[in-house]
Amino acid sequence: MEENSMSFIDWSEIWIITGVGYMVVFLALLLLMFLFQSMPKVLNLGLSSKIKEVRAKAAARKNGETKQEKYISGEVSAAIGLAITLYYKEQHDEESGIITIKRVARTYSPWSSKIYGVNNNPR
Amino acid sequence: MKKLITVLSILAILYLIPLIFGSDLMAQNLVSETSEETGGLFEGLRHFWDYTGFSNVSFGNLIMIAIGLIFIFLAIRLHYEPLLLIPIGTGILLGNIPFSPGAGVGIYESGSVLNYLYFGVTQGIYPPLIFLGIGAMTDFSSLISNPRLMLLGAAAQIGIFGTFIGAVALGFEIHEAGAISIIGGADGPTAIFASAKLAPQLIGSIAIAAYSYMALVPVIQPPIMKLLITKKERLIRMKPPRAVSKTEKILFPIIGLLITTFISPSAIPLLGMLFFGNILKESGVTERLADTARTKMIDIVTILLGVTVGASTQASVFLTSSSIKIFALGAVSFIIATAGGLIFAKIMNLFMSPGNKINPLIGAAGVSAVPDSARVVQQEGIKSDPSNHLLMHAMAPNVSGVIGSAVAAGIMISFLM
Repeated sequence: MEENSMSFIDWSEIWIITGVGYMVVFLALLLLMFLFQSMPKVLNLGLSSKIKEVRAKAAARKNGETKQEKYISGEVSAAIGLAITLYYKEQHDEESGIITIKRVARTYSPWSSKIYGVNNNPR
Repeated sequence: MKKLITVLSILAILYLIPLIFGSDLMAQNLVSETSEETGGLFEGLRHFWDYTGFSNVSFGNLIMIAIGLIFIFLAIRLHYEPLLLIPIGTGILLGNIPFSPGAGVGIYESGSVLNYLYFGVTQGIYPPLIFLGIGAMTDFSSLISNPRLMLLGAAAQIGIFGTFIGAVALGFEIHEAGAISIIGGADGPTAIFASAKLAPQLIGSIAIAAYSYMALVPVIQPPIMKLLITKKERLIRMKPPRAVSKTEKILFPIIGLLITTFISPSAIPLLGMLFFGNILKESGVTERLADTARTKMIDIVTILLGVTVGASTQASVFLTSSSIKIFALGAVSFIIATAGGLIFAKIMNLFMSPGNKINPLIGAAGVSAVPDSARVVQQEGIKSDPSNHLLMHAMAPNVSGVIGSAVAAGIMISFLM
């Protein structure tokens, strides 16, 4: 630190640095502020044009300009219904649908016989 | 007591070695050829004593060790920024253990381990890495949803420029004044980055002042809030922030990066890393990188930064009249910055319709002590109205304060270098 530098200080320079510096900080954040205040509008530009298109079509329909309504034939409906049914069926494993209890027959063997067990009471 | 016993045991072992094995075993020429056995013993002990901290201790070391202990106490007992104060406090202890000069252990001795770690501070490497982590953990939604609150972050930077004038008036050289002024931004990494560029000899004092006042935000800010904001103003309820789209969140760091660095290129390392971290977070496709940046990486850098900044406060370097002035200026700059944000919020309210008014308390969060000052605003807000939660609103000026202080630091560097 230069203790004796007070007499050499150019105060005008100090004030300029202070003033300009503070203004530039404000400017940077002001720019960001304006940009992000208008950002939702800019981002919604594409969306609003689509909304306008839809509204125009709806208005035109109301005015009777396009009276032809689109019908879906019965065959097409059936095909769609079948496709949906098949789709939902495929979400599960195919099961046989046969519910049985299989008997397991074991041939007699003295090794598995209860008669010859060691725990049998001799009485 | 345990330490005393350890020291005495070491001394006893050293005393016994020459007695048992003869004085020839004593290395480092502790014993002169002509001296008697007992003379060699005492000479060796004296030499050892000269190497110990007890022999080299100065009053300054003891003061600094006491300061380090206070930091650790504040962190553990009062939870004041423990992630910063524990490493810094321990670093102060490390830096002030007295040692014989030339031992190659001091932070200012080239080739020492601490000196290598300190390189990251002196060359301004750690602060941008910290900013990368901050960017990866910051949610700018509140700022994007209410962009006018950015101005509060700009207004609080008056602390920086006010301190600059104050430092020059106190007799600091202009570069030193520029470095000291950044304390007013309440942003430790930015203050270290700027002082590494403008006044490397003051890094220790500036960093300690900046982090101390950041830790003391819950103590410094509430009285200023009570002084400047009326009860009626504190009750103002703000509109809830609107939902922010993903596109806006991605665009914010990209546009912010381009605008701020074009205006202040000297702050590229700080702002570039801040916004880069945020792009990692918001892009949604680099979650692993964002996660590393905001957890492990920032933790590692915080440890290294804290310890080395603490260790840089060797009493011989730190305890000077300049440090005392820097501390005084730091306190004033914090008060000015807080008051600047609060007053600007009140002024903004003058131009706003009744439904759109802002609670002026959030102006205090314009200082960039993230997220402490926003938390203080929340606490002060619920004191007046327990159902008025200001945290989300206060985060907006808080994060814009980070951007603002980095821009201001860049401007200072470009003006003064």
